[in-house]
Amino acid sequence: MYTLTLKTLDRSIRVNCEESETRSLLTAAYGHMEDDAGPADLHYTVGRDGARFFIRREGREVLAAPDDGMFLALFDADIAIELQKLRRDLYFVHAAVLTVGDSAFMLAAQSRSGKSTVCWALSHYGFRYLSDELGPVDLKTLRIHPFTRALMLKTNPSASYPLPATTLHTSRGCYVAAADMPGGIGEGPASLIAVFFLRYDPEGREPSIRRISVAEAAVRLYANTLNALAHTGDGLDAAIWITTATACFVLLTADLTATCALLTDTLKELPREERRVQ
Amino acid sequence: MAEHPRRRSDISARLVEGEMVVLDRERDLVHQLNLTATFIWDRCDGQCTTQEIARQLIDAFDVDPRTAEASVAAALQQFERLGLLERA
Repeated sequence: MYTLTLKTLDRSIRVNCEESETRSLLTAAYGHMEDDAGPADLHYTVGRDGARFFIRREGREVLAAPDDGMFLALFDADIAIELQKLRRDLYFVHAAVLTVGDSAFMLAAQSRSGKSTVCWALSHYGFRYLSDELGPVDLKTLRIHPFTRALMLKTNPSASYPLPATTLHTSRGCYVAAADMPGGIGEGPASLIAVFFLRYDPEGREPSIRRISVAEAAVRLYANTLNALAHTGDGLDAAIWITTATACFVLLTADLTATCALLTDTLKELPREERRVQ
Repeated sequence: MAEHPRRRSDISARLVEGEMVVLDRERDLVHQLNLTATFIWDRCDGQCTTQEIARQLIDAFDVDPRTAEASVAAALQQFERLGLLERA
């Protein structure tokens, strides 16, 4: 039996791994969160039952996965839901998060919009990694907490942004450990200054960006919120609060390098008061 | 179309910088209304008739009657299509 103890969002997760493969998979994906964190808020037992993987947690039926990719996906989904229950005070947005200095920005998008790919590319330009999947916002301070699970890419990125040798390849995609992100890992929590809503147009030749109104941003943010109903007013007021206090854009992505340059220029052009530490 | 259109009472709406954000929990949808649609939405109180809304639109936006009536009709049709109004 191997025990992995993770700490994220000030909560502790203990995972008992019944054999070495599941432990290796979880270490590759969550290694940056490893911490001997005292009493566990969440407790899992994982392992293999013949060819299948299983995930056990008290209070829910056993999850079974046919392969490594599905195992990590199920584990990730369960952790994300349980963290939302443990930290109801935070507003969870489905987003990648990067930092520059003490400021953070989100890349919010539905699945398969290229969010992780853009995040991976941006990390080559000095932006620091905070999250690939969860953007937990503290509504009192508008600071965003790190969730440093490995970045998960469903497809290989372009040759300009090659994957490190340590990348974990699974049936559902590749995991790049947070520690291997070229720009490093950001200090969190960090002040949220901007939200980019990504749209991918396969026909698009050049990226484009458009600043959007608070109302449009609130609608888009709400659509990417995971725990809106945990907040007063069904989370609508929180979405408006966040988009009122940050600069929000729709970013139509195309060529990765050009997309990164456009986003970088946009951040540089933000008025000083919008870039200030909140 | 109802003579006196009325917003569904269970809808949440917030006015943000002149634009309405409308949350329909029942259908799990959230909408953004532009300035004109927001103006019309505000008057879907079950008291105003569609003609009255159009007249108020003329005064507020300085548009001709034909444009106002078309705008009101289009917005109400859209609201109905999205299920945001009480059934007549």
